Amino acid sequence: MGVNAKQIQKINYFSKVSEDLCSEIAKVVKQKKCSPKTTLLKEGEAGDTMLLIFQGQVEVSKNMMVKTSSGFTMSTKSIIRLETTDPSPANKPITEPTVSVVKAPAFGIGEFSLVLDNAKRTSHVTAMTDINYGIIKLEDFSNIVDKHPSIGGSVYFEVAKSAVNNLATATQDISNLTQAFFFALAK
Amino acid sequence: MDTNKKAETKSSSIDDIDKKIHANQVLYDQLHQSLVDEIVSKDDEAQKKEKSRKSDVSKTRNFLLKFSDYYQSNELFRYALWGFVAVFFSTTILTIIEYPLFSGSVKDDVGDGFMFGGDEPNWVDTFFHTFWWAVVTFTTVGYGDVSPETHLGKFLTIIIMILNLGIVTMLTGAVSSVLVAARLKGDDTLDETKFYGHLIIAGWNPAVQSALRLIEANEDSASVVILINETEEEIIKRAVSGFDRLDITHLSENFTQEGVLKKAFIEECGTFMIVPDESGLLPNEKPDEDKTVLTALTAKSILEDIQVVAYILDEEYISHLHRANVNEIVFPDEHIPHMLAKHVTDPGVPQLFDELITQEKQDKGIQVVSIPKGLVGLTHNKVSAYYKFKHKWLLVGYAIKKAGFSLEEQMGESGSPIIRDMIKEQLDGAGIKLSSDEHVIVEINPDDEYIIDGKHKALVLR
Repeated sequence: MGVNAKQIQKINYFSKVSEDLCSEIAKVVKQKKCSPKTTLLKEGEAGDTMLLIFQGQVEVSKNMMVKTSSGFTMSTKSIIRLETTDPSPANKPITEPTVSVVKAPAFGIGEFSLVLDNAKRTSHVTAMTDINYGIIKLEDFSNIVDKHPSIGGSVYFEVAKSAVNNLATATQDISNLTQAFFFALAK
Repeated sequence: MDTNKKAETKSSSIDDIDKKIHANQVLYDQLHQSLVDEIVSKDDEAQKKEKSRKSDVSKTRNFLLKFSDYYQSNELFRYALWGFVAVFFSTTILTIIEYPLFSGSVKDDVGDGFMFGGDEPNWVDTFFHTFWWAVVTFTTVGYGDVSPETHLGKFLTIIIMILNLGIVTMLTGAVSSVLVAARLKGDDTLDETKFYGHLIIAGWNPAVQSALRLIEANEDSASVVILINETEEEIIKRAVSGFDRLDITHLSENFTQEGVLKKAFIEECGTFMIVPDESGLLPNEKPDEDKTVLTALTAKSILEDIQVVAYILDEEYISHLHRANVNEIVFPDEHIPHMLAKHVTDPGVPQLFDELITQEKQDKGIQVVSIPKGLVGLTHNKVSAYYKFKHKWLLVGYAIKKAGFSLEEQMGESGSPIIRDMIKEQLDGAGIKLSSDEHVIVEINPDDEYIIDGKHKALVLR
């Protein structure tokens, strides 16, 4: 039982943390398992935990207003799927992906919780296969960072890097959407 | 005294300047002359190269291409060709298989007449004799003066006759269908070979005659014109009788219909012009401009790339025409406020405008000319000097063909794929095209350092 340091290191946020310190983190990670269709995170919910997906495939989706043949309705639109490669999912996903699948050795999701108190979840995360995952609490993580400040630096740097990248993409998305908006209006 | 001196020095300095200008003028002229010479020689070379390359393309290849085109398009020719091939093929086979029989019967038939082989029939006689048999059989005339006798010969003849039955039937069918089609279409069908890059004008309006007169005056423009409107034939004939260069055809049909536009070879046309249609209207009735929008939509649905120019009287329709993706809209009323105001603020400008735009002579007024290849990539001041020294034309600006804006190209790989896909999906679903047509913009009096590229055409004042 328990999570080992190697598993922690596979997650990009912790890739720069030494194995010794990773085992410190591993101590506070609570290992869990769940079956397909389980909702791991719910959009809008407050949360003070970060999830570490060690094995399996999850779908990230958002509530959006979409246009259907019968008019506009609120519906959950899938955005992306994340799949682990080390180890790869134990079984096939319950539905074929309709969006792109991003693959990495392991994933950390809900990383905003490491930065913000009571951060709101920005999207739904649903299990598509059997999932092997771990939960780390902000409080526990803060304690480790207090003891070993060097962890904080590298982890927060990685979190910041991904946040900045996301922000750049989001800016581009806004500009694309604005152009499309003008385009549609001009017709 | 002082003032006198000043005046003297002043006049001498002006003389000085004049002298300097004169000396420099010669240099300036020489410089530009050499530039012009260089460019012209470069252009000539390029043209020569192109010509020699063109003549290199083998004539046989050209002939084969034409032949296959003709074969594809002409049903009658196709069947006739196959019929001929079948006759020739069966003749050859029968000549080989039944040689003794056919060569024997040559002598019986021809008797004392001329034979290629002299006294005894040779293979040419036999072949011709067999050919005679084949044609007699194929045309189902069947004289019966010659016929195969061996089992093998008869067996082959059976096959040939049955094959022939099919070919003759199809040939007969093709002949009659061509005749029937010709009768159905009557005089309406236009000779498609001449319609390429032509001008189609949908609707009739007094402005059309004047526009045609201006087009007639410019010898570089397309000469084939099709008018589509339901105005009386007599009126149109009278209106277009004065044109020499233009080849004008009148289609008296409803131009809002797709079939009618296709009959005018709209896919091949250079410009499709829609004007407010006054056909069959009383003097105080207004033309129905809904038809203009409808026709623009029809034309663009036939082929998106058609260059459509619409002349509209009512401002209300402009947005509709934009939505129909019309390339250019002519709305005369939009110039009126400017003309009126300029008569007050800048007298002379409206007159200049009139003078420039209403020039009917071919070699006067504002015109668009293509820029010699040698000038592409040079700066505006050089191009301007070229026209000034070579042709004595004033280069006013440039007409530039701008490629249509494509949202897809603009977005490229930026942002997240999900958003890009969603945009495409949603716009497609709403029937909005992701690109706009190419259009012409003008650049008037640019900076000296402005670079000219291949998409520029020169606007010159002659």
